[in-house]
Amino acid sequence: MNLDLLFQLAVSGFLLGGVYSLIALGLSLIFGVMRVINFAHGEMMVWGMYVAYTILLWTGVDPFFSFLVSAVILFFIGYLLQWTVVNRIIDSPEAMQVLPLVGMAMVFENSARIIWGPDYISPQSRFALSSLSLGSLMIDIPRLFAFSLAIIITLIVLLFLKKTDTGKSIRAAADNRTGALLVGTDVNKVYAICFGIGTACVGAAGGLLVPLMPLSPHIGAPFTLVSFIIVILGGMGSLTGALVGGLIIGVAESIGPEVITNIFRGIGLDLEFPHTMKQVVSFFILIIIMILRPKGLLGGKRG
Amino acid sequence: MKRKMNRRTFLKVSAVAGATTAVSGFPTFLHAQAPEIKIGSIQPVTGVISDIGISMRRGNQLAVDNINAQGGIKSMGGAKLKLLLADTEAKEEVARSEAERLIKEGAVCLVGPFLSGNAMTIATLCEQRGVPFVMDVAAADDITRKGFKYTFRCFAISTNFANNMLLYMSQLMKDKNISKIKGVVTNTGDLFGRVQGATFLKFIKEKNFPIEVLGHIEYPLGIQDLSAEVSKIKSLKPDVLFPVARPGDAKLMIRELYKQRVGLQGIISPGSPGWYEPEFIRDMKALSDYVMDNVPWYNPVGKMYKQVNAEFAKKYPGKYIDTNSGYAYLAVMVIADALERAKSAKPENIVAALKKTYFKQDLMVGGAVTFDQRGDNVNADSAMVQIFEGSIKVVLPQKAAEAKYVYPMPKQLWERGM
Repeated sequence: MNLDLLFQLAVSGFLLGGVYSLIALGLSLIFGVMRVINFAHGEMMVWGMYVAYTILLWTGVDPFFSFLVSAVILFFIGYLLQWTVVNRIIDSPEAMQVLPLVGMAMVFENSARIIWGPDYISPQSRFALSSLSLGSLMIDIPRLFAFSLAIIITLIVLLFLKKTDTGKSIRAAADNRTGALLVGTDVNKVYAICFGIGTACVGAAGGLLVPLMPLSPHIGAPFTLVSFIIVILGGMGSLTGALVGGLIIGVAESIGPEVITNIFRGIGLDLEFPHTMKQVVSFFILIIIMILRPKGLLGGKRG
Repeated sequence: MKRKMNRRTFLKVSAVAGATTAVSGFPTFLHAQAPEIKIGSIQPVTGVISDIGISMRRGNQLAVDNINAQGGIKSMGGAKLKLLLADTEAKEEVARSEAERLIKEGAVCLVGPFLSGNAMTIATLCEQRGVPFVMDVAAADDITRKGFKYTFRCFAISTNFANNMLLYMSQLMKDKNISKIKGVVTNTGDLFGRVQGATFLKFIKEKNFPIEVLGHIEYPLGIQDLSAEVSKIKSLKPDVLFPVARPGDAKLMIRELYKQRVGLQGIISPGSPGWYEPEFIRDMKALSDYVMDNVPWYNPVGKMYKQVNAEFAKKYPGKYIDTNSGYAYLAVMVIADALERAKSAKPENIVAALKKTYFKQDLMVGGAVTFDQRGDNVNADSAMVQIFEGSIKVVLPQKAAEAKYVYPMPKQLWERGM
């Protein structure tokens, strides 16, 4: 087994996993509080990417700074979306909650196509091509930045929920909606803020990803899926679960094919595990965890 | 509630009607209008490959506009063509239902789509419905191996690509006095990517060609992170990378190769998009230099090419005719030529005419479009192109070469001062 390669794969997977965590954090927050799954999550991330890209194009400000603008803009989009769409469906059966948000996903994807065009864009940003070499290990600088910032944002959001009044009312509304209403919390406003924070997280993640991957309107859907896996894996509604889950999925998808191929070789099979089946690894881990801990890794603390 | 027509309203209405007819001049009364012939353009305009899908729809449309501007189908009284538009979303099931819709709306012939998997389902449907189907770009051999009678293909097939690739590689190895090349083959995991990658590998093996394949990596279409795949490539230490890609992953691949400092003598695609689109060169700048691709390219000296490219570039600033938009244009011209000779829009007449097609063209490399028994264009050909400082030049075969190819790459990706 090539250990250098494995280590390299683990490191790049881990770093990308941090960004996955941030994306999943938004989804988990929205689900935890409103019990609504934001199926437009990935598409909103793409909007975050386009906002950062547009700023880079017009002003030359690097996405590693402008991701904050993406977050703010996405906060307002999320706030509006909650106010206009999600609020109406919050008490509807789950099947009815799915449709409007899947519809919004289409609206986001295709409006991005109309505004920015269908082509793949890989903008030249300052750090997009830099990397650091430590012996045989290559560390991708934009990936490292994205990882560090994603982890910092995640921690800030966690602190915000624990320490501030708004954070406390978000948690109260999540815990017991009727109770929160009875003690005079403006639940609708709290929900809108919470949806906004959730989409701001994904907007920030989008900005951080601009130097890492080419952007095109359609790339959102796989991110919705992957963050969904992460959220279930970490425990529905558990925010630290999203963080841990993101890192696990990042590493697993990166090293999975190589490890499995080596296992095949070990038992004398001349088979190569194809990279096209990467997601099989994620789903496999998901199934194992679902069997062992049906509420997810860190889920189920709340009754 | 009933409305009575009184004298005033009657006068108003007749005045308006009179004015309208005076302006429009009774076109339908005075001379019988030539019938309109509907052609269905079916491309993946949204979804994972919408960039190419849109570029091809534009190619289809430009050809229709040009034919109409030149007086339509003359043998049918100057009948105008009308392009019905459909979108496969790059999904097989949608391709089928959209093709069905086009046929219901009266398309006498379908043209499209980029993506072999989509093409396969459309070809099957057209066979059932008895509607001629002219593929512009779709390379997987299998589509025309089912004995379909209504399906024709303007594009080169995978076997053709692999054949030419080995021809060009042997030329290169002879020129540079190389006895063996160590390579890694990568491809996307859709029908085209698989067939294209597998055919190339099969040819190397069958012909015992001196390329040692160190590894074969397949990844999903629309992938957004290639770091693991590129680390794997790096660990295999190849001389040459043979990638079958698409626009998104081509860019991702180049950037990862740069960041992970993968030393290569060449990046030579056995035939795939991704490496020649304007966006690739615009975004990758110096990193796109020296990439080689074996593609059914435009004919740089062709009169038809120059004219069509000028029109295309004028209509869509920043774009140019490439493999895909070029074949999209060509396929519609082939249909129009068949209609001209068939003098009818009946499916059996169009098919009979298509079978006898000999459409002279100098838009793309290769000779006149003419179909064999299976419906494949026997004269579709590919050329090896290479990127030099942002412009794409044909480098092989030598008789068509605009420039001498450069191999090995004089500078590694990370030495190019980006």
